[in-house]
Amino acid sequence: MRNRERAVYSSFFYIVFAPALLIILLLTTYPMVTILYDSFFRYSFVVNTRTFVGLGNYIHIVGEELFQRSLINTLVFTLVASFSEVVLGVALAFLLKRQFLGKRVASLIVIFPMIISTMVICAVWQIFYHYEIGLFNHVLTTLGMQRVGWLTDQRVALASIILVDLWQWTPFAFLIIQAGMGSIPSEIFEAAQIDGARSGQIAVKVTLPILRNQILLVLMLRTLDTFRLFDKVYALTGGGPANATQTLSFFIYREGFKFFNFGRASAASVITLVGVAFLALFYVRRLLGEEE
Amino acid sequence: MYRFKKILYNTIFILMVTLVLAVIIVPIYWMVNTSLKNPREVIDPIPSFFPRTPTLANYRSVLGSGLWKNFSNSVIVAVSATLTSIVLAFLASYALARYRFPLHINRLFLIWVLVVRILPPIVLAVPLFTLFNGIGLINTLAGLIISFQIYTLPYSIWIIYGFLKTLPKEYEEAARIDGASPMRVLVSIVAPLVRSGIIATSIFALILAWNEFLFALLFVRSPRLLTLPVVISRYIGEYTTQWGELMAIGLFASLPILIFSNVVYKKQTEGFSMSLK
Repeated sequence: MRNRERAVYSSFFYIVFAPALLIILLLTTYPMVTILYDSFFRYSFVVNTRTFVGLGNYIHIVGEELFQRSLINTLVFTLVASFSEVVLGVALAFLLKRQFLGKRVASLIVIFPMIISTMVICAVWQIFYHYEIGLFNHVLTTLGMQRVGWLTDQRVALASIILVDLWQWTPFAFLIIQAGMGSIPSEIFEAAQIDGARSGQIAVKVTLPILRNQILLVLMLRTLDTFRLFDKVYALTGGGPANATQTLSFFIYREGFKFFNFGRASAASVITLVGVAFLALFYVRRLLGEEE
Repeated sequence: MYRFKKILYNTIFILMVTLVLAVIIVPIYWMVNTSLKNPREVIDPIPSFFPRTPTLANYRSVLGSGLWKNFSNSVIVAVSATLTSIVLAFLASYALARYRFPLHINRLFLIWVLVVRILPPIVLAVPLFTLFNGIGLINTLAGLIISFQIYTLPYSIWIIYGFLKTLPKEYEEAARIDGASPMRVLVSIVAPLVRSGIIATSIFALILAWNEFLFALLFVRSPRLLTLPVVISRYIGEYTTQWGELMAIGLFASLPILIFSNVVYKKQTEGFSMSLK
């Protein structure tokens, strides 16, 4: 009887755990094994035949200029966007640190960009960036300057996409860092003030070192998110002009869903995953290294 | 001298805060502004900060063109995906928090859930497309509800697991001694104790699902099954001059979630969640 009861008790946990486990395995583990397998084949969805090509897909892709451009653009976007967001987020957290009338409302407004859909944001910025009717070029011409092809000039397009990402995600960096600041006991600031430190010194020598882990966490989350850049490229430039805004995710999308070269798309996916793994390991080490 | 410095500092502070708020509000205001302009004013090379002849025509034509259908698709998909995730995550997290599975499954699963969080979703898209195509889930709302679990399920598991982990076991044990079945304990004792955490998690999952773009773009083709983000992307690509209508749709897609900003702010400053995305 006792044994039976225990068996019933155990089986209950297996039953409630199973659905989530199955869905996660089906939606993530299965596809990851599949892309690894498919990446060794010439495999097109259209003809639906697999020919083993070994590392052929990898060798071809890595040698292609388009892929190299995608990789470089992704790295540039990731580094510039995530670092700028952290710097701006810290600055914003310092600016909004003190109490003032309407602080609550101001903070609520600040987080609007991160809850609105990326597509809605792209729609608005598309108007801002418009060559003829856009607000930005209107301001420039009013100031007597040349119009800029924000999304059509290949030297500017990637920067324009970065700017949209800054607008959308700096609030996120701000929120996490503000939370970190709130948890610093005020005695620390008081002690520093009594010792005669100026507020600039306190910020650099006291607050920032304490916030190190928050800053690293935001940097990690933003790096991993910016590395997958797809939506904004799809909506704003379509990878152009002259491939100036091609990214790894967009490369995979085109190979897989425009040309149906599933083998090549899989190989590019595996390369992307290796990149993500490197990024993640780097940060996890830094975050854990602090605790030891 | 001291007072002068203070006034100067305060002025700079107010100017900076105003600048920050302006940078955030102008794009949102521009949506409202453009949606109220008539088509001719929208393409005026000198953009106006206030609609000269405000009109609701954009809203009327957007609502007349079957946008309600897309709006309801978005609602159905986001709500169903959230409910599915919350129920599955609650059950699984409870098992993970209270029962030790063999082979370190508990720890391996939780680590895997974090790994999923950092994957670029596009790498999963090709195999999932083939799989879903084989079982008839492409071009259905059910296919979207399932694929959105990639975002909402790991997120919900991680957060709800955190709540359940800190819950004292005494209530559950007392109920079990009184002869309540495990399911009964879960529904009548545990669920009420973590209710507020579950509500907050649902709101975050709802926002994620409402804004999802990638799988909504790849797995659904028929116009009448599209969700709002994909409708917007089609407008951006194809009807490039219908800015007023586009902005009206943008507002429809944003207002339902902006009401949650208060919750998002409160929970995120508590260090409640790692990220929205």
